[in-house]
Amino acid sequence: MQREDKQLELVLENFQSKLNEFKAQIYALIFKLEHERDNVNWTTVLDTFAVFSTQYTAIMKYLSYEKLPQLRNYSVLPLMLNPERDEDLARITENRVPALSHDIVPDFLRTKTEPEVEHKLMQVEHKAGGLQFETAQKQLAAFNKVVNHVLDLVSKAREEWEVETGARVGIGQTSSVADLHTLVSAVSMGKNLKPMVPQVSPGGMMVPPTGRPVTPSMGPNTPPMGMMPKPPPGMKTNVKAAGAPHPYR
Amino acid sequence: MEAIKEAPIPAMDSLTSAMKNNIVPNQEYLLQGSVLDSAVEVLLHRLRGLCDNVDSGPETFHDHEMCFSIRSVTPQPLTLRVRRAIDYLDMPYQLRYIGQPELGDKSRPTILRNSIDVATTPTIVDFLTEMGFRMDFEYILRGYMFRKGRMKITVSKIFKMMVVGKPAPESVDPISQSYLVELSVLAPSNQDAIAEDMRVFAEQLKPLVHLEKVDYKRLTQPPL
Repeated sequence: MQREDKQLELVLENFQSKLNEFKAQIYALIFKLEHERDNVNWTTVLDTFAVFSTQYTAIMKYLSYEKLPQLRNYSVLPLMLNPERDEDLARITENRVPALSHDIVPDFLRTKTEPEVEHKLMQVEHKAGGLQFETAQKQLAAFNKVVNHVLDLVSKAREEWEVETGARVGIGQTSSVADLHTLVSAVSMGKNLKPMVPQVSPGGMMVPPTGRPVTPSMGPNTPPMGMMPKPPPGMKTNVKAAGAPHPYR
Repeated sequence: MEAIKEAPIPAMDSLTSAMKNNIVPNQEYLLQGSVLDSAVEVLLHRLRGLCDNVDSGPETFHDHEMCFSIRSVTPQPLTLRVRRAIDYLDMPYQLRYIGQPELGDKSRPTILRNSIDVATTPTIVDFLTEMGFRMDFEYILRGYMFRKGRMKITVSKIFKMMVVGKPAPESVDPISQSYLVELSVLAPSNQDAIAEDMRVFAEQLKPLVHLEKVDYKRLTQPPL
């Protein structure tokens, strides 16, 4: 008997941890919906629901595992109802249930559907039972037709999509790592963009680099000769001119 | 008589409290990539489909950026960037500080760098020059800008200016056969969730463009 109790406890503990995990995921979704409402797209929500569904199935599978004690064979009985606020209860239910009062017990400890719902269900079942066989067949055929039509549409769209993606693979290379590095080092460090340091002017005179101070740190950034076309002679004089009044004034 | 109005809060104080409350977008999450000229049309088409500003079409821009630096006590010179729109001459200039990019470990999907920018008048160039800043380099950017939520995507061609200070079309030269593609978000500190969204978006542009964390340290080493 005691062994059984222990087993039950273990199962409940496992079950609870699974439920908590599930709960955390639902919280995460609600948080996302509340705070990033504008940026949520339907595919991510759909993915999240797929995860929920898997979780749910896993939990149900776990519960129906034969070796586990059948939880449905255990009943929960309210021994005492109390309209006063119960701090312990509020804490373990994260403030959802402040008191085990007459109001909520019928809802929380319910094992059957509400009488109203039960009645409606009965009505529907009765209606289904009283249906003529031929009418049922007819409705079934019509429904099948609609579903098949939708299926056709979807598979046709899928086929088209696959052809399109197939064609896209054929485009070949669309980006180059070398170009990326050229661009990024130009934008971030000015590689290949800094004005060339003039060595000797056409007249054989040293041109002072007045355009900007030449610092030793510029050395590694100066592109090796041959990588870039030499600037035309006109460029050098222009560099010198840059020392004069600022061009953006 | 009316009650005496409260003294206005000094600008510095409100800035400090804004910094403390973590509402200043001072960090930039960044991913970079490139696309060959031949494939840029396909990329633009795809971006048009993915991004928010579908109706108005992509926004074009034509900017001139100047990078100024000043040497101080630290070995690393302080660098500031001034950017102006060539196509809209009455727009304010933009002054921007960009910090060292942090690459982070593998688990971080994007580069993170400090970024502070402010709109200024055209006299900023004189102002910086008077302060002792010198222009390090300059270039022209021309391209397209897209938005997707808080993310900004730019596809831009970088041009070298053959004549200093003359951004005229006939005196500029593209520096490569590719467009630079940047995906960025400006955000206050510790909003790392956005980086994950950027990773997902970058994933959607593959294999056309591979947006990645470019390691700046490796770029400074000369190619072997």
